[in-house]
Amino acid sequence: MKKPRIGVFVCHCGINISATVDVEKVKEYAKTLDGVAVSKDYKYMCSDVGANLIKESIKKDKLTSVVVACCSPRMHEHTFQKVASDGGLNPYTVEIANIREQCSWVHDDKKVATEKAKKLVEAAVAKARLLEPLITSSIEVTPNALVIGGGIAGIQAALEIAENGHKVYLVERTPTLGGRMAQLDKTFPTLDCSSCILTPRMTEVADHPNIELLAYSEVEDIKGSIGNFTVKIRKKARFVDADKCTGCGDCAENCRLKGRIIDEFNMGLNKRSAIYLPFPQAVPLIYTIDPNHCLMLTTGRCGKYPLCVEACEADAIDFNQKDEVITVDVGAIVVATGFNLLDPSIIPEYGYTHSPNVITTLEMERLINSAGPTKGEIQLLDTKEKPKSITYILCVGSRDETVCSWCCRIGCMTALKHLYLIREKLPDAEINLCYIDIRSYGKGYEEFYRTARNLNINLFRGRPSEVRPTKEGIIINVFDTITNKLFEIKTDMVVLVPAVTAREDAVELARKLKISTSSDGFYLEGHPKLKPMDTATGGIFLAGFCQGAKDIQDTVAHASGAASRALTILSKKELEAETYIAVVDEELCSGCGICISVCPYQAIELITEDDKKRAKVNEALCMGCGACTAACPSGAMQQRGFKDKEILSMIEVLSK
Amino acid sequence: MGILDLTSMGEPQVDVKREIIGQLERLQDEIPEYCYQCAKCTSGCEAHRLLELEPHRIIALLKRGLIDEMVNSDIIWTCMSCFKCWERCPQKIAPVEILFLLKNYAVALGKQIPGNYTAALQSVLSKGLIQDVKTISTRTGETKSRRDVGLPEITKPVDPVKFQALISKMAVEKI
Amino acid sequence: MTKKTLVFYPGCIMQTEQYSYEISLREILPVLDIKLVDVEGFSCCGEPLKSVNRMITLVLSARNIALAESRNLDIFTPCPICNLAFRECKNILDNDDKIKEKVNGFLAEEGLTYNGISKVIDLLELLYDIVGLDYIKKHVKKPLDLKAAVHYGCHAIRPSEIGRSDDSEEPRKIEDILEVLGVEAPWYPEKLDCCGGLLNMNLPETALTKTGEKLRSIQEQGFDLLVDICPWCHRQFDSKQKKSGETVAYSLNLPVVYLTQLMGLAFDIPWGKLGFNLNLSPVNTLVEGR
Ligand SMILES: Cc1cc2nc3c(=O)[nH]c(=O)nc-3n(C[C@H](O)[C@H](O)[C@H](O)COP(=O)(O)OP(=O)(O)OC[C@H]3O[C@@H](n4cnc5c(N)ncnc54)[C@H](O)[C@@H]3O)c2cc1C
Ligand code: SF4
Ligand code: SF4
Repeated sequence: MKKPRIGVFVCHCGINISATVDVEKVKEYAKTLDGVAVSKDYKYMCSDVGANLIKESIKKDKLTSVVVACCSPRMHEHTFQKVASDGGLNPYTVEIANIREQCSWVHDDKKVATEKAKKLVEAAVAKARLLEPLITSSIEVTPNALVIGGGIAGIQAALEIAENGHKVYLVERTPTLGGRMAQLDKTFPTLDCSSCILTPRMTEVADHPNIELLAYSEVEDIKGSIGNFTVKIRKKARFVDADKCTGCGDCAENCRLKGRIIDEFNMGLNKRSAIYLPFPQAVPLIYTIDPNHCLMLTTGRCGKYPLCVEACEADAIDFNQKDEVITVDVGAIVVATGFNLLDPSIIPEYGYTHSPNVITTLEMERLINSAGPTKGEIQLLDTKEKPKSITYILCVGSRDETVCSWCCRIGCMTALKHLYLIREKLPDAEINLCYIDIRSYGKGYEEFYRTARNLNINLFRGRPSEVRPTKEGIIINVFDTITNKLFEIKTDMVVLVPAVTAREDAVELARKLKISTSSDGFYLEGHPKLKPMDTATGGIFLAGFCQGAKDIQDTVAHASGAASRALTILSKKELEAETYIAVVDEELCSGCGICISVCPYQAIELITEDDKKRAKVNEALCMGCGACTAACPSGAMQQRGFKDKEILSMIEVLSK
Repeated sequence: MGILDLTSMGEPQVDVKREIIGQLERLQDEIPEYCYQCAKCTSGCEAHRLLELEPHRIIALLKRGLIDEMVNSDIIWTCMSCFKCWERCPQKIAPVEILFLLKNYAVALGKQIPGNYTAALQSVLSKGLIQDVKTISTRTGETKSRRDVGLPEITKPVDPVKFQALISKMAVEKI
Repeated sequence: MTKKTLVFYPGCIMQTEQYSYEISLREILPVLDIKLVDVEGFSCCGEPLKSVNRMITLVLSARNIALAESRNLDIFTPCPICNLAFRECKNILDNDDKIKEKVNGFLAEEGLTYNGISKVIDLLELLYDIVGLDYIKKHVKKPLDLKAAVHYGCHAIRPSEIGRSDDSEEPRKIEDILEVLGVEAPWYPEKLDCCGGLLNMNLPETALTKTGEKLRSIQEQGFDLLVDICPWCHRQFDSKQKKSGETVAYSLNLPVVYLTQLMGLAFDIPWGKLGFNLNLSPVNTLVEGR
C-alpha cells in the first residue's frame, strides 16, 4: 500500500471550538503524527473558503486521506466527503474528529479540552492511515407501491401515487373501502355529507387502471428494503364469487340469520345477516359471508339447505372458496391503518355498561345518519322515544394520565357538530355539554364553535365524576368552574366523547414493517416536525390517523404528503445502496451461520462453494447495522468503513 | 329532565332569560350566548377591585338562567358604567348593558332601589331634571346662582303634567 | 360669519351646578363662529335612569331629540353622558321602525315626533371636526406653557360600537387641541381610568376612592393640571377633590379645568369671564398674573 499522506484540517467553528480548545496547539500536534503531510486551521472549515483550502491542499500536497477536526459527522461529514470528492479523492477517505459536541461543548477547562482534542485527532489520523476507498453500488427500484388501509388516508395516497403512473396495491382489511369516514354523517366544520364526498373517491379507486384493490385482505409478511419489498398478502375468502356477485342483496334478505348478528358498521345499533354488505355504497360492491357466524361455515349445515344459495340468481355463493395468498413486489409502502375509539367501559363510572342510553359519538353518528339503523331518527335505545335531554361529556379517557394522556383532537369539534345536527332534528331538546376546554383550532373551527354557542345549549366547564342511570333518568353531577356551582343534570341520553387509540393490531403490523410506535401506540414518525410522514425505516411512510390524531383535512394533507414521499423513491430508476455494508472474508468464514440469525434484514444467506459453506451478503438488502459483524465469532464479517483493524487502531490511541 | 343548581337548589329561569335576551336583541346588542368566559371584562372591570363585580360571572349566570340570585344581590348595582367591558369584549358582548337590564328587572320585581336612584327618579318625574338647580359656592366661599354668574334660565319641561304622564307610563314599560 | 348653528342641550348636571362649563362654552364658541340656540322644554337625557328603567332612558332621549328636531337643527351635547344617551337612542330608533313607532306613540302625548333627522354632536366633534385645529389656532393669542393630564371620561370614548367621536383606546383629539393652545399633554398609564362618578348614585364613598386614586397618580406624576370635558367627571375631580383626597388619605392640590376654560385663556379672554372662580381645585396658579 502506498504510504499515506494525510491532511489534517482543524476548524475553530467561530468560537464554538476555539473558545475551549487551543486550535493552534492541536494543529501543531497533528503535524507530528505519523503519516500527516500537512495540518491547517481555519475559522469555518465548512465555508467555501474552508472547502477550497482543503481542495487545494489535496492537490498541492498530494493527500491520500483527509481528517477534519470539527463538529459531529452528522452535521458535516457529507459536506467534507463532497469536498474531498471535488478535490479528486474518494469521498470515503475522509475521517471526522468530533472536537465540538464531544469536546469543546462539554468541557470548561481549556487545557484538558485541548489535550482531549489532540487525542481525538490522533485517533482519527490512526484510522485515516488505514482507510480504503469505497465504491457505492446502486439498486434498481421496483416502481410499484403498497398502501395498507383503505380509509380516506389510504384512498388519497393510493390515488395520488396511481395518478403519477405507478402501480398501487391497496390492501384493506374489511370488505369495503371507506374506513371511519364511511361511518360519519356530516363532517365539521362545513357540514358536508361524509359519504357524498367519500364515495366518489372510493369509486375512483375501484376504477383506476393503476390500482389493484385488495379488499378483505391482510398483509401477512414483508421482506426486503427500500426500493424492493416483497409482500405476502392474504386475500380472505368471501365465500362469494366476486365476478358473479351483482350486489343485489337477495342473499342477505333471505339469510336464515337475518337480523341476528351484531352489525359492527352500525356500532352494534342493529343486527344484520351472516352474509352482508357493510353499507349500500360499499366498494367493491360484493357481499361477504361472515365465517364466524354463517351456519354452513360454522356447523356445516344450514337448515335443509342454505337459503342464500337458493336466493342468489347469479349463483355466486361458493362455500368452498379458500383464502388465497399472493406475493407482490413494491418499492415503497404507505401505512394508513387509522384508529380506534377507546371502549368507554374501561371507565366504569361513566355508565357505558349500565345503560343502553349511554353511547359514544360514533354510535351517535350512526343514529343521526339518515342511512343509519334509525333512518336518522335520534331515539333512546331502549324505549325508542325521542330524547328530551341529551348530555355530552368531552375528553372521556383523553387528557387523562390514567387512561390516554393525549388529546383526541377531534372530540370537541365532533361534539359541536352533533349539537348542531341534533338541534336541527330536536329543536326543543335540552342539550348539555360538559367540557374542560373547547379546542377548535382548525380553519373555520372557531367560527363553527361560535355558531354552536348560540344553539341554546348549556355548557358546563367541568368533568363529571360519574354518570348514574336511575329510574328517573340519568343523573350527572358536575361542578361548573365558571359559575362555581355544583349542578345536577337530569338527562335521558348521554353521549361520551371517547379518547382515540391506535388500531388493536398496530404493534403486530409495526413488527412486520419494522417500524416503531410512540408511547401513545400510534406509529412513530421520522421527526415530529420535519419528517412527519417518514418512519425510521427507509421506503415506509405513514398516512393519516395511524400516525396520530387527525381530522379529515389533516388526514388528507398528511396522506398526500406520504404519497409524495413514496414517489421520491418510486420515480427513481435506481437508488444508491448503503456504502457501509458488511463484507465476508471468505478465508476466515467458517459457515457457522450465526450472522444469519442476527440479521434483521434477511440480507445474509449461506452458500456452498467448493464444498465449503460460507456466508454471503446481499448488498441490496444490507442496511449496514453492524449486528453480524459484532456477532461473528471468527472475525470474518467486517463492515466497510468500520473494519475491526480501523476501530482497534483508534482504540489503541485513545487508551494510550 | 333538567338542570338543578345544587348549591342554591335554584332551577334555570328559562323564561326570564329569554325575556332579557329578547330585550338585548331589541336594543341591537350582542346576545350573551356567544360569551366564552375569557373574563377579559372582569380583568378590566373598574368596579371589580373595589366592589368585586365580576361581569363574566354575570354573563355565565344569565346564560345558565340563574337570575334571581343576581337580582337578589346588590352586586348588580356596583357597575360604574365605564363601558370598558363592552368596548373590549372579543365577542362584542356588553356586560354593562346586561347589568342595566338585570337592574331594570330587579326594579320591576319591586326590589329595593339603592341610594339616590329613587330620588333621581322622583326628581325627573316632578321637574324633568335629575336634581334641582343649585346655588353653588366659589373658591373663596361666596355663593352664586345661575343668574349671579350671568347664565340664562334653565331649560325644563314646559308642561309638567303632560311630562309626568309620559314618565309614569314609561315606568311600567319594558324595552 | 357663523360657521354653524346648533341647538344647545346643556343636560342636568351642567345647568344645575357645573356652571363654569356652561359659562366657558358660551364664551368661546362665539369666538369660533358657532352659534348656540337655546330651546325651552328640555328634560333629563335619561342616561342616569338607565339602571331603573331602560325604556325611560330611551323615551327621554327621543323626547329631547324630537324637541330639537322641531328647530331643524343639529343638537350639540357637550355632556358626554347625554351625548351617549342620544347616540344610543338614535342607533336603536333609526334601525328599528317598530321601536320607533312605539316610542313615537308615547311622545305624541306631548305632541312630539322623533324623525331621526338631527345629528347629535359632542364637544370633540364640534371643536376638532367642525371647527378644526387650524381655525382654533387662529384665535390663540396667549399660548399656555403647561403640562396637562387629559381625562376624556368613559362616556366620551366608549362604547365605540355605537359610534364615539374619538378612538376608544388611543383618543387624541383633546391632546391635539391642547397642542394648538401650547399645552403639552403626554400619555400616562391611568389615562383611560374611570372617575367613579356614576357610583355617586348609590355608592358615593367608592366613587370618591376611584376619584382620589386617579388624582393622586396624576399629581404624583408631576402634571400641572388635569383637563376634562365631562361635567360628571369634573364634579368628581374638581368639586369633590378635597373629599376624595380625604377618602384616599392623600393631600390633593391639582388644578382641574374644563378644556373650554383653557381655550378661553389661550384666546386671551379674561379668566373672570370663564368661570374660573367656580373651580374648587387650586386653579389660581393657572390664572394668577393673567
Ligand atoms: C365520531 C367521529 C366523528 C368524526 N367526525 C369528523 C368530522 O366531522 N370531520 C373531520 O374532519 N373528521 C372527523 N372525524 C375524524 C375522521 O374520522 C378521521 O380523520 C379519518 O377517518 C381518518 O382517516 P384514516 O384513513 O386515517 O383512518 P380510518 O378512517 O380509521 O381508516 C383506516 C382504514 O384502514 C383499515 N385497516 C386498519 N388496519 C388495517 C390492517 N392491518 N390492514 C389493512 N387494513 C387495515 C381500516 O379497516 C380502515 O378502513 C371523526 C371521527 C369520529 C370518531
Ligand atoms: S369579555 Fe366578553 S366573552 Fe369574555 S367573559 Fe366577558 S363577556 Fe364573556
Ligand atoms: S361598565 Fe360596569 S361592568 Fe363594565 S367594566 Fe365598567 S364597571 Fe365593570
